[in-house]
Amino acid sequence: MTRAETLQATLASRASEIAAGLGDGALGISVFDYLSGFAWELNGARWFHAASTIKIAILAGLFDAIERGRFTLESRLHVRNRFSSALDGRSFRVDARRDADDEVHAAIGKTMRLGELARHMIVRSSNLAANLLLDLVGVEETRVALASRGIAGIDVRRGVEDERAFEAGLINQVTADGVVALLRAIRDGRQFSAGSSQAMIDILMDQEFAGGIAPGLPEAIRAVARVAHKTGDISTVSHDAGLVFLPGRPPYAIAILVASAADASIRTGTLAAVSGLVYDAVAAAGEAA
Amino acid sequence: MVSNDALGLPVVDALALDEPVSRLLMPGALMRTRNGDAHVLPRFFYQVDSWHDALETQLTPHFGLWELMDVDLHEAAPLRLFPRYVPCAVTSLAAALEVFRLEVGATVRITANGGYRSPTHHGSRSGSPHCWGTAANIYAIGGAPLDTEEQIGRYAAVARRLLPFAWVRPYGHGPGEADDHLHLDLGYVTTIPNGTSEHHDGGAAARA
Repeated sequence: MTRAETLQATLASRASEIAAGLGDGALGISVFDYLSGFAWELNGARWFHAASTIKIAILAGLFDAIERGRFTLESRLHVRNRFSSALDGRSFRVDARRDADDEVHAAIGKTMRLGELARHMIVRSSNLAANLLLDLVGVEETRVALASRGIAGIDVRRGVEDERAFEAGLINQVTADGVVALLRAIRDGRQFSAGSSQAMIDILMDQEFAGGIAPGLPEAIRAVARVAHKTGDISTVSHDAGLVFLPGRPPYAIAILVASAADASIRTGTLAAVSGLVYDAVAAAGEAA
Repeated sequence: MVSNDALGLPVVDALALDEPVSRLLMPGALMRTRNGDAHVLPRFFYQVDSWHDALETQLTPHFGLWELMDVDLHEAAPLRLFPRYVPCAVTSLAAALEVFRLEVGATVRITANGGYRSPTHHGSRSGSPHCWGTAANIYAIGGAPLDTEEQIGRYAAVARRLLPFAWVRPYGHGPGEADDHLHLDLGYVTTIPNGTSEHHDGGAAARA
């Protein structure tokens, strides 16, 4: 058994133990290390409700549109809380009380720069900003942007808080492999300029929610790590996905997706536990590289 | 080109503007409404040289020019660059809004894209009076958003009572209705300021 196979087997064993702790829940993990080439997944192709991780795809769709010259980060957009349901076209609004960010709601009626909206969508997980940007770029255009970069495992269907579409089963979904592929496309600048690639990473780097990736790193590592990531939480899922930058080495991409009806603290604990496991494996693979 | 004494803004004949801008403003062109009615788009515009000028130009005690010309990326790029152009009838709109403002006794907020927008603006539906600078979308009054039937209905009634010549869009979610603002307009009014000639000889400017 090669060292990589040993690491993968160890990861699989320990991650399966963690997954068993979720009972009827599900755990999806995918990782790719740029230093060693180490790659591993557990249920990497399993579909999960995307929750707010879909906003990474919306971010990529926005920058694809910018690459195409449709607009710039400085372009101003009317902030309006009125959207058409993907199900039947009827209008719906984002409930400000359920939105993690209130600054975009405070700008209703005015304009905001696309760059500002992108930051609010990622950094504070603004649902209103997400819908404004997806409405502007287009669902189909976003799907094409992903497909043209060879990214599968991201199924963008609609904006967030579209309850009628949700009840009809029309939901945004992701796989762990898909999210890692998207993160790699962003990091690699796949059909993105270097400037766009860096801008997306910078936005993800400013994430204000802790998530589970950073908290799961060993304390000494956490102090020096920088994580460009996006969390996703609804009543039954908790996700965290991002690029982990450590001093003196290229980053690794990781997506951890947890679905469970259990208490949210159990899901976030799972995210951290998996992050720690993956770090150990990536570090070991890196030492051997 | 002439100057409007009260506002201090140049008045221009858009037929004489450079082609990229003139083509987008479509001065004197016919624009059809959904039901087939045709209306002539405005030809005479105030020229606004900077956003500072827009901010500094008070049309009435409570309404600045900037509020009625704030657009987003759905307006063509050449029309978002200064100098920018606003139909002269915007002064009539401001006067009507001022009457409304005095009656409600609270701040009246106009949405972005909710004042003048060109006929080539992506949000300009056929025959929208916004293209004449005679329509306003009000999204908040006294800090309270207008996004309920009760709120919109209450202020719509005020507008109808005060401004019998105006049209107020009914509350609703369908075409021709509004559910997140109060739309009021004066119809297809065009204004030709004193000192401006409608004779067009292909020259570079309107003449006194």
